[in-house]
Amino acid sequence: MNGANFVVHALKQHNISQVFGYPGGAIMPLYDALYDGGVDHLLCRHEQGAIMAAIGYARSTGKVGVCIATSGPGATNLITGLADAMMDSIPIVAITGQVASHLIGTDAFQEIDVLGLSLACTKHSFMVQSADQLGPIIEQAFELASSGRPGPVLIDIPKDIQLGDALNFSPIHATKTPNTINKVAINSAREMIENAKKPLLYIGGGVGMAQAVEPLRQFIKKSKIPSVCTLKGIGAVKHSSPYFMGMVGMHGSKASNFAIQECDLLIAIGARFDDRVTGKLDEFAPHAKVIHLDIDAAEIDKLRTVELAMTDDLKQILPLLETTTSIGEWQKHILKMKVDFANRYDHPGDAIYAPAMLRQLAEMQPRDTVICTDVGQHQMWVAQHMFVDRPENHISSSGLGTMGFGIPAAVGAQVARPDDTVIAVSGDGSFMMNVQELGTIKRKKLPVKILLIDNQRLGMVRQWQKLFFDGRYSETILTDNPDFVTLASAFDIPGETIATKSQLQGALSRLLDSKGAYLLHVSISEEENVWPLVPPGAPNDKMMESL
Amino acid sequence: MKSLLIIQGDNSPELLERLLRVVRHRGFAVQNLNAEISKNGQALHLTLTVCSERKISLLTKQLEKIFGITKVATLSQEARVKVSA
Ligand SMILES: Cc1ncc(C[n+]2csc(CCOP(=O)(O)OP(=O)(O)O)c2C)c(N)n1
Repeated sequence: MNGANFVVHALKQHNISQVFGYPGGAIMPLYDALYDGGVDHLLCRHEQGAIMAAIGYARSTGKVGVCIATSGPGATNLITGLADAMMDSIPIVAITGQVASHLIGTDAFQEIDVLGLSLACTKHSFMVQSADQLGPIIEQAFELASSGRPGPVLIDIPKDIQLGDALNFSPIHATKTPNTINKVAINSAREMIENAKKPLLYIGGGVGMAQAVEPLRQFIKKSKIPSVCTLKGIGAVKHSSPYFMGMVGMHGSKASNFAIQECDLLIAIGARFDDRVTGKLDEFAPHAKVIHLDIDAAEIDKLRTVELAMTDDLKQILPLLETTTSIGEWQKHILKMKVDFANRYDHPGDAIYAPAMLRQLAEMQPRDTVICTDVGQHQMWVAQHMFVDRPENHISSSGLGTMGFGIPAAVGAQVARPDDTVIAVSGDGSFMMNVQELGTIKRKKLPVKILLIDNQRLGMVRQWQKLFFDGRYSETILTDNPDFVTLASAFDIPGETIATKSQLQGALSRLLDSKGAYLLHVSISEEENVWPLVPPGAPNDKMMESL
Repeated sequence: MKSLLIIQGDNSPELLERLLRVVRHRGFAVQNLNAEISKNGQALHLTLTVCSERKISLLTKQLEKIFGITKVATLSQEARVKVSA
């Protein structure tokens, strides 16, 4: 068996049945091994598309996503995806071909120091330097990608190692002894919870990553503590949970942002006090003691100094923290805020109001629909107005905010979950950033539904230009967009354009009922903004709500 | 503030590069660095003095996460003064 065959064999041993990638010179031996190696490979039309599809695959299933690229330009095209996975803690194993060992460091054709390039955007990067390292490195890569705080791991494999003989390797699986939980800390935390008058849960993406959704829901059921979530925490708490207020932060709900500023105990669960959440950090949750639960010790006291922290597995901790509370006044206040500040969907005129449309779509979509978004205003409207009942069903580039993420992520999610409806909600700017992936949808005949919200603008940037740059619309006007429906039809994707409210119900039904892929292109006014908005440098309770 | 860090790791070619990148990115400047490979060639021993406005624990926690680093210990300048006083 040569090195390349060994890689395919090792992938199968890790239960990887699907990979995403793009071939080229230095990875040809691996592609040869994939030809009849028994692992499905989906050819994406750009390496960035391949890694984002792997991210969509990983996020929609909780499994490790695998992508493959060649050396040089193939590898550099992965970088944005690695960074995306790094910021959102997504388990990815990226395999790149490298020029033959004796050519490394000679500026050979398509040689780039991908290990050096990747250091800032991977959890770890390996370069295989001899045949005997191949087995242990692949083993470690999968372990690292998925353990602790997950993240992307890169394996760079020189061509001679792919072609040379592989050495036998049988992994020794050490049985992990579970952490012993610090009982004193648990008791202190419970005491803090029981004594708090206004406790609040601040739920992040870590809950979903730790597969701790059920224990969290049990904890909430018992304690009835109100909650808010981050962009990546969406789906962890059931949307219908009585004291859940939705997203917090820059475009968070009013109730969430006020609750944060009022609470006397903030319990951060798998969240990291990102600046988009905290607004002005010094004034974030000013009256609160903080309990921080996160697997990554480096997150503790990084931005907010906390009273108590635990870095154990959330699945272990949350059941131990279950307790009852008597916080009737606070709960009443939360319920009142939810009513007083509820989203409103009445909007004058015939033009389509995107928040109302997304709300309508959320009501119509089948159970377990996966929503993938791009980045911009439409992304925030999805977060604010759609409802999602599992973290795996809301796939949005949160930490990096990568335009071009939505379509390839939807490709990966649809491949992973062929029986579920997958909808990519995109903007006219973002859509064009990985538009070539329509070719992947066509190739695999994926039934991805695309909802393209077209304001003929780079809307989110336009909004900031309007608010903070005197309306000087520098390079954000996209009135020269292509005809999107024609563009989609070139990839055999049917579609239609709508612009008025009366067309919505029928068009959304056609989108959802379509057997194959479908593009619903929706023209909206360029003037729409995302509200509320915590302006830069302001505390969270100083929200702008209109122009 | 200055801090002295004593670090041990596996002797791999890119460990130092990885470590120095984290030091810079997290807002610390290296003022002094000594690196030695252990007699058996397996381990790398480093002592470095770093300087920053930020708390040293912000850096040490990031360094501890680096795959291949086996030990990170600090001796802040202040602590050393106290010890010797
Ligand atoms: C790769 C990348 N480049 C630039 C940006 C900056 N950016 C953030 S939102 C945005 C506009 C997005 O426009 P569009 O996709 O049309 O969505 P809209 O805001 O109009 O809903 C831009 C340019 C980004 N997030 N990602």
